[in-house]
Amino acid sequence: MIKGVRSTADAVRAGDCSALEVLHEAFDAIVAQNGRINAFTAITRERAEQAAAAVDSARAAGRDPGPLAGVPFAVKNLYDVAGLPTIAGSRIDRAPAVRDAALVRKLTAAGAVLVGALNMDEYAFGFSTENSHFGATRNPHHPTRIAGGSSGGSAAAVAASMASLTLGSDTNGSVRVPATLCGVFGLKPTYGRLSRAGLRLFSASLDHAGAFCRSAEDVALAYDALQGPDPEDPACARRPAEPVLPALARGLDDLRIGVAGGYFTSQGEPEVFAAVESAAAALGATRRVELPAAGVARCAAMVITSVEGAELHLPDLIARSAEFDPKTRPRFLAGALAPGAWYAHAQRFRRWYCHALQEVFREIDVILAPSTPYPAFPIGQATMEIGGQIVPAAGHLGVFTQPISFAGLPVVAAPVAQAGPLPLGVQIIAAPWREDLVLRVAAAGEALGVFRSPCPVSMEDAAYA
Amino acid sequence: MADPFDPARYVPMAASALGLPLAEEDMPEVIGAFAVLARVANVVMSFPLPEEVIAAAVFSPDDGKAP
Repeated sequence: MIKGVRSTADAVRAGDCSALEVLHEAFDAIVAQNGRINAFTAITRERAEQAAAAVDSARAAGRDPGPLAGVPFAVKNLYDVAGLPTIAGSRIDRAPAVRDAALVRKLTAAGAVLVGALNMDEYAFGFSTENSHFGATRNPHHPTRIAGGSSGGSAAAVAASMASLTLGSDTNGSVRVPATLCGVFGLKPTYGRLSRAGLRLFSASLDHAGAFCRSAEDVALAYDALQGPDPEDPACARRPAEPVLPALARGLDDLRIGVAGGYFTSQGEPEVFAAVESAAAALGATRRVELPAAGVARCAAMVITSVEGAELHLPDLIARSAEFDPKTRPRFLAGALAPGAWYAHAQRFRRWYCHALQEVFREIDVILAPSTPYPAFPIGQATMEIGGQIVPAAGHLGVFTQPISFAGLPVVAAPVAQAGPLPLGVQIIAAPWREDLVLRVAAAGEALGVFRSPCPVSMEDAAYA
Repeated sequence: MADPFDPARYVPMAASALGLPLAEEDMPEVIGAFAVLARVANVVMSFPLPEEVIAAAVFSPDDGKAP
């Protein structure tokens, strides 16, 4: 089985193994697992061989092969990869990209090796990766169930150890939802922290790039390689990289950690709230925090997403809507028809909401909240009954993530150890630009044993015995 | 008081204004999706905001580049 980011990079840098050996293990894992999981939509074998060979020759020549030397990574198929069409889960024709997305270039420059592109909901408009064109991505922990979405391939590839690191994107929960359902760590940094240049966007006001790994330290290592300003993305903040790795192991000492109350204590299964409570107890989080108007924030996020997503694809919706995935088509068409005042009011509300949350962070450093309202459901399930109410099974998955990304706050979705037969997780949330705090708490929780990325049972026997 | 808004009437008219052809077989699902959107938008619109609250656009006339 392939290793994590840290152990791979350490081994390659020390010369304990070559990047090519690591790469071949990754391809073996992909061959063994992907037929069952359906995470990859493209494999970049030739370029990966060249990149791994370049890492090995750099080391042989005495040059630094990079902090991520030899780490096999893959990206959601809305990231540009030179030579591949950036399909974003769609079947509508797309010319091959001429160069890599900014974040792919950064990981490559750090020595990581791109192995392929990953399945997603069409144009990122979904939470389940039940893509009608490319098939559903299956949950490595229970292959008849969803992986979550829209970055479902990204979460499943890491959970099934087909890559040590993957990139995804999160508009309303599309990193945090699949990370939680697949039992891996997912980082959605502050809005504007990571460059989106070379990504096919869904809703530019809300889109964030993010990363998936099997440990908090691995996420931190990858995140430090991904940071930095980029004038090609107008939302990317003009602030220098602020590395988190040096202070990652500082522990919880002086942190004021609270648990989100009110809105975040209903509309989910009891096991979800029990997982939050067990994390809170282990981390010594006793305070309750109210996030004002969280329900309104979720609604406003839906309005902005619907309108911006529809506008991006309007020419295709007019000319060839039949080629859209039936799962996204009605929502894209509906978004195209929204009155302008809805959108403008939602954007104004967003600023009011961010100011209100700033007040909350005067009293608290870190907030814990549930990540998804339930674990992975069976592929094809349309509705869910929650507290006597029937909700759309996939759509409701974002109930707890949407109010957080709407404010652009940094979040780690961390898997809670032994939460139940299927993975469950919590969101670890901090004030804008405090990725250092959410990753510190994730690492501390991992050291305490309350967070852990479980190994899929099916892989403990069969292919890797 | 009953909500006078009727997505089944609005959707075909707004689509026509936009030049957006809607297939007959798509109509029920689009009307359903729009009804959901209208419901959540109503929650947003019911939240009173003073006009002093300005949206935080990232638009910058020179794209942030120094002269």
